[in-house]
Amino acid sequence: MRRPLAAALVVATALLLSATPAATRATPACAAETGPHAGLVVDTGQRTTAYCVVLDAPTVSGLHLIQLAADQDRLSYGLGFGGQAVCRLAGVGPDGGDCWADYPHYWGYWRGDGGGGWTWSSAGAASTTVRDGDVEAWTWGTGMSGATHPKPPSLAIEQICTRTSPSPIPSRAPSVSRAPSPQAERSSPGSPPASLARTRTLEPRAASSPVVVLAAGAAGPPPTSGGPPAGVLVALVLAIVLAIAGWFRLRRYPGGART
Amino acid sequence: MRGTDLHPAAWIVWASCAGLIAFVTTDPLYLVLIVAVSWFVYAAHHTRAPSARSFRVFLIAGAVALVLRTSLALLGWIVPSIGVVSSGSVAFAFLEGLRLAAILVVFGTFNAVTDPFGLVRMTPRRFHEPALAAALALSIAPRTIASAGDVREAQRLRGLPVTGIRSLPALAVPVLERGMEEASTLAESMDARGHGRGRRSRYRAQRWSAPAVAVAATAVMAAAFFLVASLGGWGGLHPATVPIAWPQADPILLVAIALLATPGIVPTRGTA
Repeated sequence: MRRPLAAALVVATALLLSATPAATRATPACAAETGPHAGLVVDTGQRTTAYCVVLDAPTVSGLHLIQLAADQDRLSYGLGFGGQAVCRLAGVGPDGGDCWADYPHYWGYWRGDGGGGWTWSSAGAASTTVRDGDVEAWTWGTGMSGATHPKPPSLAIEQICTRTSPSPIPSRAPSVSRAPSPQAERSSPGSPPASLARTRTLEPRAASSPVVVLAAGAAGPPPTSGGPPAGVLVALVLAIVLAIAGWFRLRRYPGGART
Repeated sequence: MRGTDLHPAAWIVWASCAGLIAFVTTDPLYLVLIVAVSWFVYAAHHTRAPSARSFRVFLIAGAVALVLRTSLALLGWIVPSIGVVSSGSVAFAFLEGLRLAAILVVFGTFNAVTDPFGLVRMTPRRFHEPALAAALALSIAPRTIASAGDVREAQRLRGLPVTGIRSLPALAVPVLERGMEEASTLAESMDARGHGRGRRSRYRAQRWSAPAVAVAATAVMAAAFFLVASLGGWGGLHPATVPIAWPQADPILLVAIALLATPGIVPTRGTA
């Protein structure tokens, strides 16, 4: 993006922030700027990552929210059972289309109750409705119900979709720090992982979509899509050789092997 | 007796193991390989008997199943309430259809290379009647295919139209009639041979030859590898479809499928 435009965006953001009354400061600034947002929390058990996702429609499905997070913040994911279930998130979970491959471990689906708490979703992510300001969470673990499955850390939309301000936001909200690039992160060693609040603010282009990494570790690497692996070629060559061998055999003994 | 010189039980073991492998995976590489292996085995062992046509018929049935399963996934375009159509859901449906097609081709190969009544002869006396019922059920498809082919040929010789929907009733009636006739002939012949009365004697029992043992053993080995992979969750038996990724081919499992081609390599009476 061109530099003057970026600078103008920063100035506009600062102006907007200073003009916003204190009472409405709790609402996500990003929503006011660029339309509907929703929060997506991914808890792998090792680290918890929260994404502020820009919605491309007034309401989306829970699955589409993950796809949007993948597009916007490079969350890696894999769906299974015909694209109806979540198998893999942030590099955790079974690789293929069978989401129960790592049973009893699987991705539990939680929906925010609006106050930072979570309720176990009774519906599949393909049929749920996510609106502006909603929060959804996925946790990796065992347990077939909300009573036994690990619960994600308490998070509200205000804590996920923070405004991009150069000064740290007081109270329990995660502290905000400016990073020069989407990849760069600042770690604060010494704090316990659960309270280790780090904010990754993107460049002005994506300033409205900050990503809060709540625990140590970076987000999963972007999915790489190279050419076909060697196994594919070996398998295809083997199949072709077998087919040709069968063909020659049929031509040599058209009436069958025994007469 | 028509059929191969391999013990029928070896063919049962081979077909069940190949079918089991096709059942536990949706990886297109393994499935295509199973179809190729089936074709190779069919080419080596098919007979002159009319039931050898069942390979082609089951190949067509598999293709129909594949197209049907995939188009069912595409139905969401016309009826949006069924579900959202995405490249992932279509790919998933395609792989499921491919699995079904591979199972059908394996069954077609089994029908083309073996004689179901040979199986009845070798069952223990206690299980003779259920085995007879199973053999009759198994042979319905190849016998119907064979008699349909005969009827069509006869109609073609008489200058009757044999293609199109209008010719179907003219085809169905003689095929059904012939099925009834065959059933009553079989019942009469069984009655005449004293079926179900007293001890059953065995005339020249077929022996397990070394090739038959090799065929059964390698098939069981191949299926065991896939079972372990399925239970252990390795080998990439179910490739990811959302987002679409390249299917994996584990070298061990590739070797396992290659083991299924043993019937095509072992020496047979006609070629050796």
